[in-house]
Amino acid sequence: MQVAATRIGGDVKKRIEMSGISKAFGGSVALKNVSFELLEGSVHALMGENGAGKSTLMKILAGVHQPDSGEIFRDGRAVTFATPKEALDFGISTVFQELSLLANLTIAENMFLGREPTLRFGTVDYTTMNRETTKALAELGLDLDPKTMVSELTIAERQFVEIAHGIKADASIFILDEPTAALNAADVEVLNRHIRRLRDEGKAIVYISHRMDEIFEICDMVTVLKDSELVATKPLAEMTPHSLIAMMVGRELKDLFPERNAEPGEPMLDVENFRISASSEPFSMTVGKGEIVGMAGLEGQGQQRFLRSLVGQFEPFGGKVSVRGKALKFPVSKDGGIRYLQSLGVGLVPEDRKEEGLFLTLSIGHNIAMGLHSRKSEFSLADGYGEKIRETMASMSVQASGPAELVSALSGGNQQKVLLGRYLAAGMSILLVEEPTRGVDIGAKSEIYRLLRDFANKGGAVVVLSRETIELIGLCDRLYVVHDDTIVSEMAAENATEHNILDAALSRQASQVRLETTP
Amino acid sequence: MAALFNRTNFNRISRIPPAYFVFAVLLIVLWIARPHMLNINIMGIFIRQVVPLGILVLGQMLVIRVNSIDLSGAGVLLLINFYISSSMFPGASLPFFVAISLATGLAVGLFNGYMVGKRRVSAVIVTLAVNIVLVGIVQFLASGKPPGDVPSIFSDIYNTKLWLIPTPVLFWVALALIMSLFLSRFVYGRYVSSVGANPVAALFSGVPVERTVIVAHTIAGLMTALASLVQTASIAVGSVRVGHELPILAVAATILGGVVFGRGEGGVWGPFFGVLSFALLFVVMTTFGIGESGKLITQGLIILLAAIFYGLRTAKSRT
Repeated sequence: MQVAATRIGGDVKKRIEMSGISKAFGGSVALKNVSFELLEGSVHALMGENGAGKSTLMKILAGVHQPDSGEIFRDGRAVTFATPKEALDFGISTVFQELSLLANLTIAENMFLGREPTLRFGTVDYTTMNRETTKALAELGLDLDPKTMVSELTIAERQFVEIAHGIKADASIFILDEPTAALNAADVEVLNRHIRRLRDEGKAIVYISHRMDEIFEICDMVTVLKDSELVATKPLAEMTPHSLIAMMVGRELKDLFPERNAEPGEPMLDVENFRISASSEPFSMTVGKGEIVGMAGLEGQGQQRFLRSLVGQFEPFGGKVSVRGKALKFPVSKDGGIRYLQSLGVGLVPEDRKEEGLFLTLSIGHNIAMGLHSRKSEFSLADGYGEKIRETMASMSVQASGPAELVSALSGGNQQKVLLGRYLAAGMSILLVEEPTRGVDIGAKSEIYRLLRDFANKGGAVVVLSRETIELIGLCDRLYVVHDDTIVSEMAAENATEHNILDAALSRQASQVRLETTP
Repeated sequence: MAALFNRTNFNRISRIPPAYFVFAVLLIVLWIARPHMLNINIMGIFIRQVVPLGILVLGQMLVIRVNSIDLSGAGVLLLINFYISSSMFPGASLPFFVAISLATGLAVGLFNGYMVGKRRVSAVIVTLAVNIVLVGIVQFLASGKPPGDVPSIFSDIYNTKLWLIPTPVLFWVALALIMSLFLSRFVYGRYVSSVGANPVAALFSGVPVERTVIVAHTIAGLMTALASLVQTASIAVGSVRVGHELPILAVAATILGGVVFGRGEGGVWGPFFGVLSFALLFVVMTTFGIGESGKLITQGLIILLAAIFYGLRTAKSRT
């Protein structure tokens, strides 16, 4: 960070400058008069809540979207990118968060997709392609056969191939949108080494990540966006994680979260000797009445696999599960698991509300009442549940013209409330919630936190997964830190920080490595 | 503001199944050009012709709503026609034929449902394969034998009328009413809408998705059996060429009736009017002296228009 500070102090050239960018999609404003500049040889963090406008800004830089107003300058001259190809030719390379590789092609075919070198008769020059790919992969320290199918790679390897793809394009500006989401600590270190190398070569890197530690580890500058507007651009040396969060949220975090519950009651969900896979360590956990428990840790460490195996949507290696003291027949079946658990009062609120949660083409009423209908056999008379639907909509303050409105017409926050409302209306007593506030604005977030807390206070029990550790710390009473498909630590949320959660997750890994290397 | 108004108007109109417009247009054409045709006796006869199609559509509508399809109808129809017209069951009574037909429909429907719902095999492939097997079985059984006659009790019932309306038409309307009530008043209807709109979300809200698909195919099998009985009664002879176009017409009428793959919406009456539109189309074509080939071309064009209409609507609702 010292190095970074002196770099910024010196006379550095601007790689690119975006000035007064505004963009609206239909009626909703995505960016309002945002300015952003990238310096040569710096790693620039772009921060903000979901929906703050980060992705839109970067997509404009990458030529995916065109700004409604504002300009992009390079060396004082205005430039425009009509297509991603133009931006790429200009030297702007993007590694997007969602993996964009085609699984049924080889690594080399993916790397050269759309610009394959050809031989005299127009056939693809595989020799050159494979050679160049091997070289690009080697630069990242990867020893992979370019003829390997992408489907055979691990998620981390795919992410590296994606990065190699960007680096190979010989660009001068790199946009890395949550590049570490699928990587473990060791891979993150490899990636950081390459980012530093690129920086030292004088490239400019935009780094989007929600992980505070990474931001402070690797970035020099930070720009914060909030509600489509620029908050500030500052050198990271002047910031602390706390002041950065305050800048992102725009208010003190504690205002966002409801009061915690002092005393949890009798156990509602008991898990003993649970093993997610044959090679993972067994663990136990419990959730009491009135309690909200979070499953924290790095992403993809088994939190979701654990929660889904409780309702039969993932096949665990084994374990004992009891609900309100009653032992389940475990593991439960894939087809009947969700119905079985719902009959015991356990509801899983899935993460992806558009794909797994809601019936977008159907009404709010149908979406909410479905949890109630599902408790019955198909050959029983259907209740209208009009009163129940209205009650649920009112108690959750869903903003809509009425129960007949289609769910697809609602905002993300209201959709999320409808989804949660289905499980609340169905009278569940234990909720397993994946990503309770993904992609919803801050106002709706705070309301959803309140709803979950009310549910717990009325005698419910909640297990929450979230990528946003801050959310888990603020919302929950107790946290389990999950790493490598097992629980490695337990802490009161009150005393938890992002730092000690990461510490708990990673120190476990370090100690294991040590054990393995000791003869 | 004006644009907004237009868009809601478009949405409102596009929610109405195209079958209603087609039906209205054909009715107007007929009323202007050949008013004397709009007579309950003549219309009754034309509508009676499409009753097998109409009953088949009641099942097809259900399977399409759960994102599946049933193309095994022609095979079932042939087999049931063979049961009745050959001397396979000499001297059997009407209840026996009805029972064995329903049993066949049930078995085929259950098999289709099991393969599609439980084994996740492609619905098109399973039901087409079943269709081919059934057709083959009938050809094997019928080889070298002249097609026989259908017991006269079938055509006797087929030709009866209640008040002025042919009994088969009443039978169809009654079945449609039962289906409509079943889907609107029972939990099963909610399951069907949910599975059609988003099978994953249906699973996560506790809907027994596999069972819903199996039940839909089973009901479709039973409907096919009933349609086959009516069809057999209407032609009164055995044939290995009967009704091979019915399944695809059933898919067409269902789509015309506003039921589309991958949306949990649509009901019984849209496809019902889809079938009625086909009946009217035959009347209009016949009165204008257009032959079989012209009818086919027009049918195809109507299906195409319905598909374009839906493409337009999906595009509009995405923006």
